[in-house]
Amino acid sequence: MIFKNLKYGLLAMATLAMVVSCDSDDNGMMDDDMMMDDDMMMDDDTMSMDPDFSGTYVQVDFMGRPGINTVLSSSDVKDMHNQAIPAEMGAIFQPVFQNQLEAYHDAYAVALGLTAEDVDFEPNILGDILNGPENDGFTENPVTAEVLTTVLATDVLEVAPDAATTYFNPGAGAPTYEGGIGLTGRTPQDDVIDVSLILLFGGGNGARFNGENGLPQLVTDGVPLTATISSTFPYLSNPE
Amino acid sequence: MKKSSKIILGISALAIATGIFVAADHIDAPGSMGTSADIADYFAFEPKAGSDNTVFIVDLQSSVLPDLAYGTFDEDVLTEINIDADGDLTEDMVIQAIAREGRMYFFGPVAPSTTGLTSEVAVDAPLGDVEISTTEAIVETTADGVMLFAGPRQDPFFFDFFRYNEVVMPSAEDNSGFNVPGEDTFDGANTMSIAIEIPNNRLGAATGTNVLGVPVYKTWVTTNRKQ
Repeated sequence: MIFKNLKYGLLAMATLAMVVSCDSDDNGMMDDDMMMDDDMMMDDDTMSMDPDFSGTYVQVDFMGRPGINTVLSSSDVKDMHNQAIPAEMGAIFQPVFQNQLEAYHDAYAVALGLTAEDVDFEPNILGDILNGPENDGFTENPVTAEVLTTVLATDVLEVAPDAATTYFNPGAGAPTYEGGIGLTGRTPQDDVIDVSLILLFGGGNGARFNGENGLPQLVTDGVPLTATISSTFPYLSNPE
Repeated sequence: MKKSSKIILGISALAIATGIFVAADHIDAPGSMGTSADIADYFAFEPKAGSDNTVFIVDLQSSVLPDLAYGTFDEDVLTEINIDADGDLTEDMVIQAIAREGRMYFFGPVAPSTTGLTSEVAVDAPLGDVEISTTEAIVETTADGVMLFAGPRQDPFFFDFFRYNEVVMPSAEDNSGFNVPGEDTFDGANTMSIAIEIPNNRLGAATGTNVLGVPVYKTWVTTNRKQ
């Protein structure tokens, strides 16, 4: 689906109706070898062996998408991010993230002997994927630093129950990005760092800072998966 | 953005103050880094094409650096997977996990008694429990097909973490960015994983969508310490 405007797309999803399904009739607390009839399960001796789960628990760490707090929060808000809730994150963190994104660009400008004002975030490939490329190679609804950080500030990991999981795939690449899809979850194999780098520093063709022509390599960290991933639950392998 | 040496200094100071400050969520903030409640990573995915299940994996702690211990689940830390089904960014369901005497107990999916920053264990909605593994994975499957796991695993995250910390502090002498090939700092690291694979019918319909119009759950994980 193509949205003419990413922001309106986001607004539209926030207004959708609510369906909640709970199903708590299962009593999985009993081990298989302890299966017994309902009367036995209510036995006082069994009940007295139940662990104590009482008390109030207060949030100390938070994670949605990989790398968001670590890369885009400035140091003074990192702890705040871990004690925030998604519904309130956008307003708090969008300006912080946008400043941090520009600060990274400024740092490279200075290191390369350029003027900081001259090196800014450039709209990334998401614009073409979401809106379709224009003939001149630029989309009329670019994903600006503000739009990108607005999306990222609400730090949730979306997972589609009825679609294949793709963190992000640019498809055929510039300029058409044919088949570009994503945002349906995250597997252990996904190279989330390279995806993040491409969206933050890749510009309109995904390769703006690609290590060539005297520019730094900022669109890949150059490492693939090294852990072994199993095809069966729990998917992660025995410790090394 | 305006040129500002303050910003440049700010980035350098940040890197120095925290020593190291990136990974998926590994050691992401001074208040939680290196503690038993430190979320290292989080995954949510369809296990194979056409599957009617969704998998959630939460990694706590990581041995990515020698001084970062991993090894046990803290019984005072409640791990909570939050699931927003309708796209309003408030959790409609939670799945909880907490350790007691060598077993990991799971609760939910259930509407939380309160949304937001405080939680209580949903003792009225037990899901199942599993012995915490040591090396080989011990998996418990409940009567309705929910698979549960808790124990040490390889940390699958991959990233040239040390080079990153240099990349974000470029200088006139070192401004080339990442090395290709780089070096995976997490190669050989282990983490404490909690994994659950659950039939989608236990989670209900997803009526929120991503920007591409695909129905999705919006999810996040928190750790919560007993007061």
